[in-house]
Amino acid sequence: MSEATGDAAAPAGAGGGRAVASPPGPVRALRDKLYDLWMARELLRQFVGKELKVRYKNSALGFIWSLLTPALMTVVFTVIFAFVIRIEVVDFAAFFLSGYLVWMFFQNAVQGSILAIVGNGALIKKVYFPREILPLSVVLSQLVHFLLALLAVSPYLIWTRGWEIVYRLPMIAVGVILVTMFTAGVAMLLAGANVTFRDLQELIVVIFMVWFYATPIIYPFALVTDADNTAARTAAIVLSYNPMTWFIRIFRESIYGEVVVNPAHDPTCVGEACAAPFLTTAQSWPSAELLGAAFAAALITFVVGYAMFHRFALNFAKEV
Amino acid sequence: MVLDSLRGFMRPDQAGPAIVVDGLTEHFRLYHERPASLKERLYRFSRPTFEDFLALKDVSFTIDRGETVGIIGHNGSGKSTLLKVLARILPADEGLIEINGRVASLLELGAGMHGDLSGRENIYLNGAILGLTRAEIDERFDDIVEFAGIRPFLDTAVRNYSSGMYVRLGFAIAINVDPDILLVDEVLSVGDARFQSRSLERMRGFKERGKTIVIVSHDLQAVEDLCERTIVLHGGQVVFDGPAKEGVAQYAQLMGTGLGDDERHEDGSFGSGAVRIDDVILVDQYATRVTQVTPSQQLRLRIRVTARTAVPACSVGATFRGGTGDLYEVHTTWQGLGVGPLEEGQSAVVDIRFTAHVLAGRYWVTPIVTDPSVREQFAVRPDAIEIEVTPAPGAVGLVDLVASTSVSEGPALTLGGAETTGPIPVYSPDEDDDARAAGA
Repeated sequence: MSEATGDAAAPAGAGGGRAVASPPGPVRALRDKLYDLWMARELLRQFVGKELKVRYKNSALGFIWSLLTPALMTVVFTVIFAFVIRIEVVDFAAFFLSGYLVWMFFQNAVQGSILAIVGNGALIKKVYFPREILPLSVVLSQLVHFLLALLAVSPYLIWTRGWEIVYRLPMIAVGVILVTMFTAGVAMLLAGANVTFRDLQELIVVIFMVWFYATPIIYPFALVTDADNTAARTAAIVLSYNPMTWFIRIFRESIYGEVVVNPAHDPTCVGEACAAPFLTTAQSWPSAELLGAAFAAALITFVVGYAMFHRFALNFAKEV
Repeated sequence: MVLDSLRGFMRPDQAGPAIVVDGLTEHFRLYHERPASLKERLYRFSRPTFEDFLALKDVSFTIDRGETVGIIGHNGSGKSTLLKVLARILPADEGLIEINGRVASLLELGAGMHGDLSGRENIYLNGAILGLTRAEIDERFDDIVEFAGIRPFLDTAVRNYSSGMYVRLGFAIAINVDPDILLVDEVLSVGDARFQSRSLERMRGFKERGKTIVIVSHDLQAVEDLCERTIVLHGGQVVFDGPAKEGVAQYAQLMGTGLGDDERHEDGSFGSGAVRIDDVILVDQYATRVTQVTPSQQLRLRIRVTARTAVPACSVGATFRGGTGDLYEVHTTWQGLGVGPLEEGQSAVVDIRFTAHVLAGRYWVTPIVTDPSVREQFAVRPDAIEIEVTPAPGAVGLVDLVASTSVSEGPALTLGGAETTGPIPVYSPDEDDDARAAGA
């Protein structure tokens, strides 16, 4: 047994290490992990830069690509839902974008991170650095795309929704922080689990397809809560316990406004005479209840994801 | 200010030895058939079948600051696993590890390089992987570029680099990390002689500055030259820990006389012991023992085996290792030849004749005695013979294809005729790169 116990900790770089000759307590272990992560901040920055650079290195349109997909999807969904299957919300494109961009961030970040560990096997077997850097760098690079996309559509949103949005920037910032924490938690959990259960990377595609429709992105939440039959009521319960619903609502209520059933609308009235539309948009702030639920979901998911990731990480070098 | 005091709290003093390893045990699961997916796991219900393989058993030692320690042992003795645990790539399954100081590990040069990024970008990326901050990399940038000699190609994607440039860049970054503790795994055996001597020089500089170095190597000469202490691992356990010269001698004895053959049989990884290898020698066509040979020289491996119990038939073979991995494997049974039946105590001598169609480098031969189906290993003596192939002019590579050249049409010239200028100089990737660098 060595005498080097107690407080004889050591400086550590990303490539440097410290451990103690007495088993570290949980607080100490967490402190060490966070210290490692702090020391590796330059590496995180480099990895995020690499993600952004490599992606567009050999493409002529570069960053435009990450805007083109949401732009095309907006056109497609707007044509379908504003003109074919009519969901009567004003400015469908603005309504759609306020939810869809958040969703795209979540989906791209998680689907990218799930391969972050298994795709970097050579690196993991050869050098030490805090492993969470790999999924986190994917999340952060997707966050950059998300923020740039928000910036790119902001003139359109201001044009259609008015200058009101500017006052809501603090709330949008809170939403960004919360959804990033949540996304990072899910990303770390799945990136770690995928090393042992390689089916996840296939399964996730299906899960995301279902999850997309189980989140009020292309339709307003009010349309489900208002419907009056068992199936719709079940759907409403599922939707209201879906954390992505909460995040999307925070963004949508801040950027676009809340879609509510028009009290002036008369369901028995049919024909041209009924001027009051079924749905209307109310300016509102996200409720404290909604913010609280979203905050709890973000924090719990992040902590659980981080803890599980470290548990999985013990086997990375042997199994990857 | 707050950040500084926080860092002070989190970054305590540098007291104590550099490395403390206490009761380290490391397991590996060797899966017979690994069910990789969830479906398979659910489908099979049963747990996957695997053997628990102990790579390290209760290893303990302390390395003080400023010590240079060589870890030696044959293949599979656990030395690379130990280095990976010290580098924090593998977690300790049991036991405790304490490391005081910044560690840089040279387990593979350029492990973190990204082909699509330029040399400049890779210096920053790789530096960050090795734990440097941006300011530290800025500070070392010129030294790295100078040592690697890649200045004209700084903004070229590294996938367009020659292998020589790639390796030099990787080494230049790693050596400039300036860690407190340097972990090195065989990486010094890559590259040409000039590169090797340059990197050895750097390692000596490290040592003089009082840094701690841990080296894993097959190159006993280098270990003896560079280290004052060696740790000999055998079957995952420390069998010797002391002065380098004694350690190297102990290891040579371990390899040469088959000391510990019985011990090896106990752990099962070195054959069941029905037949034992008494002696292995390498001779040339005049039947004289050799260790240094020229490319494509005719050689003979002579293996003497003795049966410990009556054996109906067995096969004697050998594997050849060098360069990047296994090169060749042969068994008498694959050539339709068996040895036996052997009575208890009866001996046999098997000759394996071969031509060393390899170019300059070090190669190792492992004799193996197996059953005729080459499934059960009766005896294995890892790396029993070392062959050093001397450089020869006219070609480079791993395999000697015995090429000759001629001009069958058009005018030909004699450049540097053998009588007047002597042998044509051996191609050096270094010089080639420098020539390209100068031309660019």
